[in-house]
Amino acid sequence: MARGDAEFVEFAKAASARLVHAAFLMTGDHHQAEDAAQTALVRTYASWSRVHDDDAYGYARRTLVNHLVDGWRRPMREYPTDEVPEQRRDDVADDVATRRWLITILGALSPRERAIVVLRYYFDLPEAQVARELAVSVGTVKSTSSRALEKLRTAAPRTADERARR
Amino acid sequence: MSELERLRQAMRATERPDAVLDLDTVLRQGRRLRTRRRVAGAGAATLATGLAAVVVVAVGTSGPRDLAPTEHPPPVAVAPPSVGASPWAEKSPGSTPPPTAGRDEPPPKPLGQFVDSGVRHGADRRIYYFVPVSLPAAPKVTIGLAAGRQSPDGSLTTDLLVNDVEGADRRAGFHQIGYDESSSTAPVPTFGYFVGPAQQITGTVDGRQVHARLARWSLDKQVVIFWFEPAVLTPGDRLDGIIARDATGRRL
Repeated sequence: MARGDAEFVEFAKAASARLVHAAFLMTGDHHQAEDAAQTALVRTYASWSRVHDDDAYGYARRTLVNHLVDGWRRPMREYPTDEVPEQRRDDVADDVATRRWLITILGALSPRERAIVVLRYYFDLPEAQVARELAVSVGTVKSTSSRALEKLRTAAPRTADERARR
Repeated sequence: MSELERLRQAMRATERPDAVLDLDTVLRQGRRLRTRRRVAGAGAATLATGLAAVVVVAVGTSGPRDLAPTEHPPPVAVAPPSVGASPWAEKSPGSTPPPTAGRDEPPPKPLGQFVDSGVRHGADRRIYYFVPVSLPAAPKVTIGLAAGRQSPDGSLTTDLLVNDVEGADRRAGFHQIGYDESSSTAPVPTFGYFVGPAQQITGTVDGRQVHARLARWSLDKQVVIFWFEPAVLTPGDRLDGIIARDATGRRL
């Protein structure tokens, strides 16, 4: 394996979990998420000679998000009640509930809102960078974040009540 | 805990560290993609007729968002060659001489005004212009968009011509994108046209957004000629997607 390939494989192993999870947060579908992450890595590898010395992870993330936002055709419908990972989890039911809550509230958002929420609050990117990566204005990021959080507040009490009853 | 904190925590808590992708497939597909980019349009047919090379590329029915590289040689037609009057606008900057056929073969007759891309190849300037085409199987296709170079003495070299080979050339939306095929000393910046009130055209390549420059065709203001400057998109690199927006930012 060439040195560049070895570096890419090391990078891909380290980045895969976060890319897949980000895609899952944006799609609500594990299979679609894995496909999207794989596509992002394919494109990153194709351009590896010019990105590996720069910000390879940022490049893969941008490719992933744009791939998903550009190709969006359907709302989130699927609920992740299967394949709950066993490691690091003391309470499987709690994990399922959290995941369900997360997908329910993210599913109430538009694709762009979801992308902004994931970039802002999962990747912790500043607003200006989110704006650059989605080719929108900072104002759009602010207003969309605000709308998304408002939806989150209206969705949160009911699910919080459900958790309290358990 | 605020909803926002709860959201952050939930997004992290549901991460699956065991996510495994098929990296052999990633490497294989990545190599293939890299090769496709390097050998852009390896199968494209090119007609070299003196100084005029005419390439006609099929437009898929899947629309402009499906920008996969052409895998098979597309059908070929030849634009009627003739020499026309000066297509330069009277208000065109500078005292640009009219184009003339530089050698034995006359270039296709330009329709309307040239669009000066601002890109220079030595002393030549990269220009775009429509030319008439004739395809018996597609009677509603009468124009194609050419990328050419004009030298200081006014002679014109046509490098690449793209046109629809089915449907109608004024159909709303994107039409065929022209990619540099030759890797010559004068690579053709990626170009095409859009029919509709586009004010902004943005392409995506490898997750990067690239903005096109736009100019309206002098003979039909609904036709928007666009091109990507080589500094933002390497000639020959295939776009992964492309969108147009109107003046309000609405996607067309």
